Amino acid sequence: MNTKVLNFIKAFVTYFLLTLGAAVVVVPLFWMVSTSLKGPDALFTYPPEWIPRPPVWRNYIEAWKVLPFGRFLWNTLFITILAMVAELLTTSLVAFGFARFQFKGRNVLFFILLSTMMLPGVVTMIPSFLLWSKLGQVDTFDPLTIGAWFAWGPAYIFMMRQFFLTIPREMEEAALIDGANVFQIYWHIMLPLIRPALLAIGVLSFQGNWNNFQAPLIYLNSMEKFPMILGLKFFEQTLSKEAPMWNYMMAMSVLMALPILGLFFAAQRYFIEGLNVGATKG
Amino acid sequence: MPVSNPYIYTVVHWVVVGAAILLLMLVVYGLLRAMKAGRSTAVGYALILPWLLGFIIWQIYPFVFSLYLAFTEYDVLTPPKWVGLENFRYMFTKDPRFWPSVRLTVLYSVISVPLGMLGALATATLLAQDVKGVGFWRTLYYVPSVLPAAATALLWRWMFASQGLINTLLAPFYRLLDMQPLSWFSDERLVLPSFVIMSFWGIFGSNTVILLAALKNVPMELKEAARVDGAGSWTVFWRITVPMISPALFYVLIMGVIGAMQNFTAPLFIRTPGGAGTFLNVYVYQQGFTQFKMGYASAIAWFLMIMILILTALVWKFSEAHVYYEGEVRKH
Repeated sequence: MNTKVLNFIKAFVTYFLLTLGAAVVVVPLFWMVSTSLKGPDALFTYPPEWIPRPPVWRNYIEAWKVLPFGRFLWNTLFITILAMVAELLTTSLVAFGFARFQFKGRNVLFFILLSTMMLPGVVTMIPSFLLWSKLGQVDTFDPLTIGAWFAWGPAYIFMMRQFFLTIPREMEEAALIDGANVFQIYWHIMLPLIRPALLAIGVLSFQGNWNNFQAPLIYLNSMEKFPMILGLKFFEQTLSKEAPMWNYMMAMSVLMALPILGLFFAAQRYFIEGLNVGATKG
Repeated sequence: MPVSNPYIYTVVHWVVVGAAILLLMLVVYGLLRAMKAGRSTAVGYALILPWLLGFIIWQIYPFVFSLYLAFTEYDVLTPPKWVGLENFRYMFTKDPRFWPSVRLTVLYSVISVPLGMLGALATATLLAQDVKGVGFWRTLYYVPSVLPAAATALLWRWMFASQGLINTLLAPFYRLLDMQPLSWFSDERLVLPSFVIMSFWGIFGSNTVILLAALKNVPMELKEAARVDGAGSWTVFWRITVPMISPALFYVLIMGVIGAMQNFTAPLFIRTPGGAGTFLNVYVYQQGFTQFKMGYASAIAWFLMIMILILTALVWKFSEAHVYYEGEVRKH
């Protein structure tokens, strides 16, 4: 067979497989949206109804109202933003310290930092809870937001440090000669330079906090403090127990996923960059 | 203390703690300088202070305390009561729900992680062939990873329902093989494969992104040199490409295992018969926060952690023989 035919076959097979993979990804997503727009009797039709006629947009309004979803959204945003800002600030400061300054024990401490990346969180969950409980902060937003001031994401510190290492030293040296102190160097020179890293980690941090389930689950008891993911759980557990209201639950899932998906499409470069820095230099 | 507005409450605390940490950093700097430390040392320690404090307060202390708790009986209302090895004895010999949970968790990790990695490798290899619109495909495959795990779990629970989409699509196969539709999450024997399938869908996207980037970094010259020497495509792939991307493969495997062993969110949104879908991390939560047996829960947590460390070490050992880092001189 000549190479032209061979190449054509190769290309055909490649695109065929890619499309197959895309179908595997897209069909469930489509089904999720499709289900969210169905009335309760249309849920179990055979053959499956792909495009509900008529689309019950009211499901979204009902899902929003059956539980205080507006409040849940606000709670999720509240937690996410407070945690994210604190994380970005402390992560960049700590990474700056590790990347740019020599001090005794630096390598040992950095190695410890790396190993905590691999330490399962399951073991510290209970004592952390007990600690917050002693401080009287159970059922408040504190455990979900204040911990961020302690730079609690070793992966983020690692990524940011790698990024700092790629910045040439001349800028700092010039500034030092001009008499700038550390804080000025950090604020005026470093921060603008590491903007891509800040964006990448900001995006990952947003995603992590938005989807965080275990922490809100163990720390929050009052429904008015629930983030959306707890609201979804509460709905599934109480109002949807006997005959699961799949259309509502799919609608809620879509509502919960939309902001994150939107952020992803707007900033996908940063999601992917964040992933890669962690993996290729690991 | 009655709280009128929980948001203001937390914001105030948040600002206070933030300011305190920044202040502490300055104090540490001043102290170190006063003790005649070099400027670099003082600044360095001041800058890493947030992490160092967090490490001591939220990792070392809980780590040690949980080890202590594992040997106690603690229901939070009364002080912990030392019981020695009793928790472990009960766990290993008498608890009927422990070993099934271990089996589920370990099998799930050991099956779904390599499978996901292979699927991602296959997809990344496809995409690396100068495919038109690589960005589009890559984004598309990544979308499931962006979905909240709760949404994914509910979606798959819905699709795996007895009259759900999956069984409807498989209906011709059922007829052909003359069998009843599978019950997936409602069948104890199928709970594990159902979780594995769901995880494959959710994970292979982000791994594909990582492996694709790694594949793109393999220098063309190496592959061409091998071809000139007469190597076929398969040989080039196994002897050159795979070793060159082995650090990324290693990363994907390790992070995958650590994550899979601690599977928590998805199982809590999926009802299974008789708790067949209770992963170890979920079991820890149940024992600690719904049964208020924090001592026992800590014991289970420690067991889970040791299992994760063992698996991680195994992957590490395996990789030492197979992972190739550029610039490393290998001892034979």
